[in-house]
Amino acid sequence: MDLSFIDKLLTFLKLPFESFLNIEIFLIFIILYIFLLYNEKRCNKKVKLTLISLIIFFFACLVFYFQEDIISVLSEIIKTIMRCFYFPNIVFYILTAIISLIILIYTNLKSNLTKLNKIITYTFTIIHLFLFTNFISLAITNNTSLTNTANIYQHDNMFVIVLFSQIIFILLIIYKLIYHFCYIRHSKLKNIK
Amino acid sequence: MWLKDQSMQKKSRNIKSQLFKVGFFFLIIGIIVFFSTPLLKLRGEVFEEMRLAIFQMNINKDNTTINSINTENLIVTDENNAVREENDKKANYTYIGQLSIPKIKLKRGFVSKNSKYNNIEYNIAIAKEADYPDKAKGNFILMAHSGNAYISFFDNLYKLEIGDTATVSYEAKDYKYKLTKVYNQPKTGQVAIYRNYNIKTLTLITCTHNDDYNQTIYIFEEI
Repeated sequence: MDLSFIDKLLTFLKLPFESFLNIEIFLIFIILYIFLLYNEKRCNKKVKLTLISLIIFFFACLVFYFQEDIISVLSEIIKTIMRCFYFPNIVFYILTAIISLIILIYTNLKSNLTKLNKIITYTFTIIHLFLFTNFISLAITNNTSLTNTANIYQHDNMFVIVLFSQIIFILLIIYKLIYHFCYIRHSKLKNIK
Repeated sequence: MWLKDQSMQKKSRNIKSQLFKVGFFFLIIGIIVFFSTPLLKLRGEVFEEMRLAIFQMNINKDNTTINSINTENLIVTDENNAVREENDKKANYTYIGQLSIPKIKLKRGFVSKNSKYNNIEYNIAIAKEADYPDKAKGNFILMAHSGNAYISFFDNLYKLEIGDTATVSYEAKDYKYKLTKVYNQPKTGQVAIYRNYNIKTLTLITCTHNDDYNQTIYIFEEI
């Protein structure tokens, strides 16, 4: 951790040649890379498919050998998502409020959005921001320090407010994504016609 | 003929799209059913972490209070005891302590004996006959499910070996124990505990691994 820049660079360069396994992995990736580049010229479909299946096979082997570690990593990822949903820390929660606010301002200023889209976006963002403001006021009344996550969620009312505002925020994001993709697809179809 | 062909084609396309929708619906249901148990288990773990964090935070708060109050207040009177009992009864899902077994990465809180959540369907449960860990030469008896459900807190107890350690945190104090005896008994609704009555003991009870008819008793003695 306390290495100088040159030491970091030297360590990084030495890394692929430290052991036989490292050299092997390095060669596999170099070969894959050369094949991918070479195939860009030839544009052979069979080579493309073979390369993709080789990459998938390589990672499948990795998954097979490190099964337990991968399962624990996956469960840790899911747990992190769940933590962000059920017990977000104050930084994450403020970030969602800022995103909501930006979406609200953008929708308000944008003139070529449909009325229904605007109404739905206003509903979600206003509810979300209302819950966020409520959360802040509750923190002031309960005299809760927001820096400690456990301190926030020992109050049931704060937990419920955060939970509902997270649900509203997720619905808003899902709606925006679906609308965005449908809108792009629809406009592309229109252009084709 | 041509019109007929076209309508037939339309019909088959409709049937195909309907079949696709139904298939997609069942696929989603299947995925939800398949992943619901592990997801519920992970959700339980996340909630458990938060409960423990709240428990730990409250312990730290209590310690600060104890350090800053006048020693005269530490005299326990009958009145204080009554308040304590009242608080004990009120406690619902607030942990009063925590069991941790590092070898199997078990860290779980337990609630007061009077709490309605002192039940193996919610938590690691304290047996009615158990003494709390602060009682000299007492036996602190804990029970929990084993299996695949997210409430199977004692699922990995079978991996323990004689000499492995367990810690019980109770009232801001840690009690360390060492596993000395493991034995099975048939599931009859009752369990006989064989222990040394001169040593403070921790007893863990759960179903025997891969056995529907027996229960396993783990006897830990204080170090």
